Amino acid sequence: MCGIVGYTGSRKAAPLLLDSLKRLEYRGYDSAGVAIVDKKLRIHKDKGEIDDLRGSMPNISGACGIAHTRWATHGKPTKVNAHPFADCKGEIAIIHNGIIENYLELKESLIKKGHKFTSETDTETFVHLLEENYAGDLESTFRKVIPMLKGSFAFAAVHSKEKGKIVVARKESPLVLGIGEGENFAASDISALLKETDRVIALHDNEMAVLTPESIEITTFEGKEVTRRPERIKWTVEDAERGGYEHFMLKEIFEQPQAVHNTLLGRVADFDVNRFGRDAFPSIKIVACGTSYHAALAGKYILEDIAKVPTEAQLASEYRYSTAAFGRPLVLLISQSGETTDTLGAAREARRRGRRSLAITNYVGSSITREADDVIYTRAGLEIGVAASKTFLTQLVSLYLLSIQLGLARRTLSFDESRKMKEELRLMPRAVQGVLDEHKAIQKIAKKYHKARDMFFLGRNVNYPIALEGALKMKEISYIHAEGYPAGELKHGPLALVGKETPIVAVAIKDHTYEKMLSNIKEVSARSSPVVAIASEGDRDIEKYVDDVLYVPDVPAIFTPIPVTVVLQLLAYYAAKERGCSIDKPRHLAKSVTVE
Amino acid sequence: MKAVILAAGEGSRLWPFTYSKPKVMIPVANRPILEYVVRSLVANGINDIIMVVGYKKERIMTHFEDGRDYGARIDYAVQKKQLGTAHALLAASKMVKGDFVVLPGDNVIDSNVVKDLLSADESPCALITESEIPSKYGVVQIRSGKIVDIMEKPEEMVGNLISTGIYRMSSDAFTRIRSHSRKGVHDLTSVVRDLSSSDDVLAVHTSGKWIDAVYPWDILRVNETVLRDIGEEKSGKVEKNVTIKGPVLIGEESLLRSGSYIQGPVVIGRGCEIGPGTVIYPSTSIGDNVRVSANSVVEESVIMSDATIGPGSHISHCVIGEGAFLRSRFSSSSSTATMDVEGDFHKVRDIGSFLGEDVFCEDGVVASPGAIVGAKSRVSAMRVLRGTIPDKSLVV
Repeated sequence: MCGIVGYTGSRKAAPLLLDSLKRLEYRGYDSAGVAIVDKKLRIHKDKGEIDDLRGSMPNISGACGIAHTRWATHGKPTKVNAHPFADCKGEIAIIHNGIIENYLELKESLIKKGHKFTSETDTETFVHLLEENYAGDLESTFRKVIPMLKGSFAFAAVHSKEKGKIVVARKESPLVLGIGEGENFAASDISALLKETDRVIALHDNEMAVLTPESIEITTFEGKEVTRRPERIKWTVEDAERGGYEHFMLKEIFEQPQAVHNTLLGRVADFDVNRFGRDAFPSIKIVACGTSYHAALAGKYILEDIAKVPTEAQLASEYRYSTAAFGRPLVLLISQSGETTDTLGAAREARRRGRRSLAITNYVGSSITREADDVIYTRAGLEIGVAASKTFLTQLVSLYLLSIQLGLARRTLSFDESRKMKEELRLMPRAVQGVLDEHKAIQKIAKKYHKARDMFFLGRNVNYPIALEGALKMKEISYIHAEGYPAGELKHGPLALVGKETPIVAVAIKDHTYEKMLSNIKEVSARSSPVVAIASEGDRDIEKYVDDVLYVPDVPAIFTPIPVTVVLQLLAYYAAKERGCSIDKPRHLAKSVTVE
Repeated sequence: MKAVILAAGEGSRLWPFTYSKPKVMIPVANRPILEYVVRSLVANGINDIIMVVGYKKERIMTHFEDGRDYGARIDYAVQKKQLGTAHALLAASKMVKGDFVVLPGDNVIDSNVVKDLLSADESPCALITESEIPSKYGVVQIRSGKIVDIMEKPEEMVGNLISTGIYRMSSDAFTRIRSHSRKGVHDLTSVVRDLSSSDDVLAVHTSGKWIDAVYPWDILRVNETVLRDIGEEKSGKVEKNVTIKGPVLIGEESLLRSGSYIQGPVVIGRGCEIGPGTVIYPSTSIGDNVRVSANSVVEESVIMSDATIGPGSHISHCVIGEGAFLRSRFSSSSSTATMDVEGDFHKVRDIGSFLGEDVFCEDGVVASPGAIVGAKSRVSAMRVLRGTIPDKSLVV
């Protein structure tokens, strides 16, 4: 969502901060701004692109500053609502991610005390609160003011009289610190820092830090000292360059064989059987949002099929506020970034309910890894495209690995079957590559149907969640209104909407639901909808019933979501490309959703 | 100085290994051929690289990305139709100014080759080397250090100095290339030959390592040569009673099961499972995520990533493509064979068989020396494979 960066050192801060902001661009934003302590405090901000901001930037030479990209929650995306905000005297500047829930009452009392507000945002409250309580030291002012706030936040602030110093604080909104030589950094996302340093320290909830060029001091809000060793980050900045591809999303789709290799690395030949299966739990509850929720839904089928554990998937935003029913399920949390607010809230709720939890995430050291009892890393590498591709696929692969492991540990899967399944899983990178090698066929189909206004995606069994994901990809990046449906539900409503203007994408792979899917296909083609089938290689029969067929490599039915997902990603990508959409940064969307 | 690497061609003579990737991405010692070119350039301080890509370009772009992993900055130019090397170079014409180096991406070179080219102080120049079989290449005629003629694949012996296809030239040359292009001449050799009749084209001799792969069996030769210089590095997990002799590279998370015997030079990629009781002789390269099951013997072979070699197999002087699956007791011994590639016959000593990607063999398949099996073919149990079998064949 919003992005934060901060720098203190000896180099000129302005270009460095803008460069770092650029690296957060993929998260989505609608305005941006910079505050730098030169002789006095200088703020430059505007709505629109970072490059425009760079163009209109006056020459500011200070070597300490903060910068922000904003994704509007309270108040419209305008220049006045852009961060940083300054106090009435123009001495303090702050930037903020998150939401201050009690800002209206705070704002009222500050206005009574004579503070002048310039924006509609919740954020501005904080800077006036700092001004009101400031007594010569920003750090102690933070400590005094923060307890007055309700909500979630990551703050960074500078004061014109405290040169070279940045104060940051975090509660339920990500913040990392980067360590350099004679300089230090802060950012809401590791990727902003990759060009400058590979040594980072994650700030935890209820902690703040004071950064100077020579030091980083971390304390809790109560003032207790925290010592934490920096971690080395293996991702490099080159992960963020497109390398010949027109879009990050396409690059990331083509990286999937390697991503799946990495997910499987060291987890196929030798397995730590007991790691997750030791505890007796009657069922699993998978909790996630967005694309990860589709992985969760697929996870239900995968876990029940392979490990025979009763499994339910629930949206994190619903789980958080649901009733704790009887039974003590293992709570499985899926979040690409590990920072999704609702999923983190669900993790805390799970702990409050005394549930054991396991997280599947892509980000080492992210907040969810601290909230959950155990972690499986997907190892997909950095994903820039807002629409998830390789991170979704590796979530699926992680779920297969987990299922086999649980099946073995709970004795619901025979050793022989588990070996066969692992062998199949080992071959998945080839199945993915097989689809990629046929990308031109998919592009042709996308070209044929890209003018559609509405589309339906049908699937059954484990491919029903994949149909949902295919529809999500399509609407996210091509803006075609697309709905995913379990094929059996067709007659219960959506059939009323089909017709020759609504292409249907039907996942019709050879499994025990194949015949049923064929009759669903006949139902829609009888109403003159064009049908694109995704079918198993070698299935010539299906060509009789549909307009177009896209084949996937023949893999066992339970593993078909892997190649099918890749077909649907490419279909959405090429449709969006035909329509000239902004594929890496779809309108209104953000990479990781760190607000509720 | 910038370098332009020509990597757009398919390399159909290397079929079936070009089924889903360009020739330059064929791995030797677990690295694509093209990577050796990039590394040699970077070792000589040339890190601004333009790759001209075309056929299956995604494979190249996904591997090299923007080049930072290799200490280079790589930009891509796309040649839409693969007409010839000069035509390919034109695709990069807007991206270079002044002097630049142009190299074919399908030759394995070491850093001395680039060093020799840079040591010449004039441009244009052509890098030449000695060859034992000059009739395969363009043979150059030299007078007082200058090229006077290039003869493409001469049938008579006219000399053993050949053009490596590596040149240093200046962007002025583009005008000439364009005028040739209009006449339908698209190969760089012809352009250089023409250039040498009016301008001085310096012949620069290199004794650095320059090996090219034209036919499938060349992959084995190139692999063997490159493996001579590998170091030793062992990651992964090695169980008890595994013998490892000589230079052997083992990638991370690879598992060597008990009773296996590895005699270097051998390179094994990441996440492989070898053994138990498997013997690997020199000079063998095994890619990533490969499984070589119990009691198999592999010698002087290239096994690409994601392949599966079932138990009790014998693989000698073979190239096994990505994802090939040999269920059990696959057998391929080596001997002399006559090979037919695109209508040309070649008598080749000491070769086994060549299996394209995703070839699936049921139990007990025997491949005769010289057999080439097309990608995605399926072979029933106990069959004997001979000669050339097209892609996606069913052998029952």
